[in-house]
Amino acid sequence: MTPRRRIAITGIGMVTPVGNDARTTWANLQAGRSGLATIRNFDASGFPVRIAAEVKNFDAAAAVGNPELLKFATRSHGFAFAAAEEALADAGIRPTISNGERWGFCVGAGMMGVDYRELEIVQKFCAPDGEFQPNGFLAENFPVDSVAFCRSQTNAGLALLTQHFGIRGYATAVHTACASGGQALGTALKVLRRGQADFMLAGGFDSMINPVGLSAFCLLGALSADNDTPERASRPFDLTRNGFVLGEGAGFLVLENWDSARKRGAKIYAELAGDGNSLSCYRITDSPPDGDGPIQAMQQAIADAGISADEIGYVNAHGTSTLMNDKSECAALRAVMGNHIGSVAVSSTKSCMGHLIAAAGAVEAGICALAIRDGIAPVNANLSQPDPECNVNIVRGKSQPMRIRAALSNSLGFGGSNSSLVFRNPEEVE
Amino acid sequence: MNSPRKIVITGLGVVCGAGLKIDAIWDAIVNGKSAIKEISSWDASRWPVRVAAEVTGVDNRTLVEDRKLHKMISRTDLFGIYAAEEAMKQSGLLAHRDTLDAAAATHFNDRSGIFAGSGGGNYGCYYEIFPAMAPAGGDLKKFGAQFSESITPRWLLRNLPNNVLCHLGIRHNFKGANACITNQGVGGALAVAEASAAIRAGEAARAVAVGHDVPFEPETLFNYQRLGLLSPETLRPFDRDRNGTVFGEGAASVTLETETDAQARGAKSFGEFLGSGCATEATGILDIRADGDGVSRAIEIALADAKISREEVGMIVAHGNGASASDASEAMGIRRVFGEKIPPVTSFKWAYGNLVAASGILDLVFALTALRQKTVPGIATLNFLDPELAPFPVSQNVQQPRGDIALVLCRGFGGMNVALLVRANP
Repeated sequence: MTPRRRIAITGIGMVTPVGNDARTTWANLQAGRSGLATIRNFDASGFPVRIAAEVKNFDAAAAVGNPELLKFATRSHGFAFAAAEEALADAGIRPTISNGERWGFCVGAGMMGVDYRELEIVQKFCAPDGEFQPNGFLAENFPVDSVAFCRSQTNAGLALLTQHFGIRGYATAVHTACASGGQALGTALKVLRRGQADFMLAGGFDSMINPVGLSAFCLLGALSADNDTPERASRPFDLTRNGFVLGEGAGFLVLENWDSARKRGAKIYAELAGDGNSLSCYRITDSPPDGDGPIQAMQQAIADAGISADEIGYVNAHGTSTLMNDKSECAALRAVMGNHIGSVAVSSTKSCMGHLIAAAGAVEAGICALAIRDGIAPVNANLSQPDPECNVNIVRGKSQPMRIRAALSNSLGFGGSNSSLVFRNPEEVE
Repeated sequence: MNSPRKIVITGLGVVCGAGLKIDAIWDAIVNGKSAIKEISSWDASRWPVRVAAEVTGVDNRTLVEDRKLHKMISRTDLFGIYAAEEAMKQSGLLAHRDTLDAAAATHFNDRSGIFAGSGGGNYGCYYEIFPAMAPAGGDLKKFGAQFSESITPRWLLRNLPNNVLCHLGIRHNFKGANACITNQGVGGALAVAEASAAIRAGEAARAVAVGHDVPFEPETLFNYQRLGLLSPETLRPFDRDRNGTVFGEGAASVTLETETDAQARGAKSFGEFLGSGCATEATGILDIRADGDGVSRAIEIALADAKISREEVGMIVAHGNGASASDASEAMGIRRVFGEKIPPVTSFKWAYGNLVAASGILDLVFALTALRQKTVPGIATLNFLDPELAPFPVSQNVQQPRGDIALVLCRGFGGMNVALLVRANP
């Protein structure tokens, strides 16, 4: 059997609530600056939750470039364009007419999204009293909007980005709620390993900071309602944590074969070394208290990377700041790391940028790669009273310089989909 | 290591407008009976397009016994769970697990995967928001203060695209490798491809792959119709007079495992999954290339993945969605690979409609049946082969497969193309 292909991360791009590119995002996360604030994109003043981590001062037209394509792009597609472009520019390689067939695309994308103002039009025609009447569509003056229809299709982001960048190989979109971004990178890794692509543009994008998305999470009671102190509202592993804060954004990585990346003189941030993927089979919104499920995902990822747990120096936790998740994740971490748990630095960067839902795993993977490159474990902000039930070594107060041999990123989704990824320091690989 | 692991299909499950039983649906197909009829889920009598292959006369409790679950999930999830559980039952995997001791059963669960191809939801979920929007009258502040009075707290959970994955996991404890693929028309086909790749790579020992979709409700039907994608009468793949596709709904599922495992527990195998290929044409959401570029590349990748030659392909189940450009380019793509030696081609969507994300697996199930019956069913709605495509080996009549391998083609929005290869077990 031929040896397994080793996969390198050679490009990183991000649009997040703490920065519209990877460099700014990373600098602000290291400094522990919060991207959480009162919602500005729509009037949320009547909602029980009025805070979120929004992307700020984002210029979609500049990101997409082509005005024809911009019409077909939702807010989160705009983030995706910008992050993908940054990742490709950073990698110093992009699909061409001659090699586009060897480029693949894999993305974690959010739920089908329909703009509230578009919903209002349909509601006026089809549900003036609230109850849906299909024949409202047959009204002669119904404003047909085929472009809006195209924008809302589940793989619209995939369609737009592959077209724009000329990616003609394997292409897919996955959705496992909050684990989507991690699963997308795991899938990309496997496609590269089995030789069905030489390069992958992989990541995630999402925005649920809109009236329907916000309502949906309010109804579940999953969000922090600390409306007066938004910058402190996301406090993973703190005893007083009371829910997550919605974020939005996109993260993309360029992945390619290690040897060919070296040959072309590319800079390599890290090896995307292992993927682990499990189902908790517990409950739809609750996390298993003993960490069953996340445990298997982490163990698989570590084994898949061909390393042992004691090589993991940094864990970018899922750490949503909900009561259940953080406790369950720490139980899982203790089970996986065993005696080594005291020497693993753990932080949740959601403390600064909120929960990017389908994009979270992709952005956090990029953070792990940057943490390895710069030898810094980013701070877990807002931790003033550590929950004794979250008894792991959390990066508290300020970011911690440390040489990281290998890092692990968790993404644990509603419904019990768990994704863990392992990244290795290039110096450990060669 | 010598040859890669052989992966076999040991269970099948389907639900679609043509029924819930594979034998009965097969009979309908070979007898030229289509399940496409007038839409009954709303009063569509005034609609310019009012046909589809709906699942009618099936009680939700036939699909999923647990009534409590009906409130937690949506219609597409009921279909997905049903089809997957039928396949799991038929495979004997659950009965086999019951024979294991506790430690072995835990290991079995950790090594059992679920791969879902989900339609990802439709506009239907937004109709449930309207009761909160109407009284707000465009005032977001009012909407924000009152939505909880008229929207169920379960709204988000009921509409999660990954519900089938999660609930199958909870119901059956399959904790291993998993995916929920939301890639419109090719989601189900990719679920099989990824499940088999996971088994081949040793990431799972076995997996259930399921594709499920309710691809239409009034708003989607309306938009497809206005875009000219739908036929107002029936679906005529490759016909001179084809005029669009027709929606269907439902789900299909297969269980996959290594031949070694299946033989060891004495399970019946319906066929071998040989390989897959995936390619996009990078043409945006609706457009496709006229030359069939993505179709031919997906086929070539699948042949290489399966390590077989094109001459070994005994029959083709085409995507054949009845849309003018799609069928023409598909025929072109097939010709690019097979030249003048195209094996017999058929397509099943005329019989059970276009189930979008569920289509690929449903077509795979009937490709296996066709191979086992050594019968390539005719396309009942094909009256005149489009002369632009001739010669092209499709027929209204039954043809004979020229070998024991079928190629299944599946296409979707975004210029997506997936090719699957299966071999029937004698």
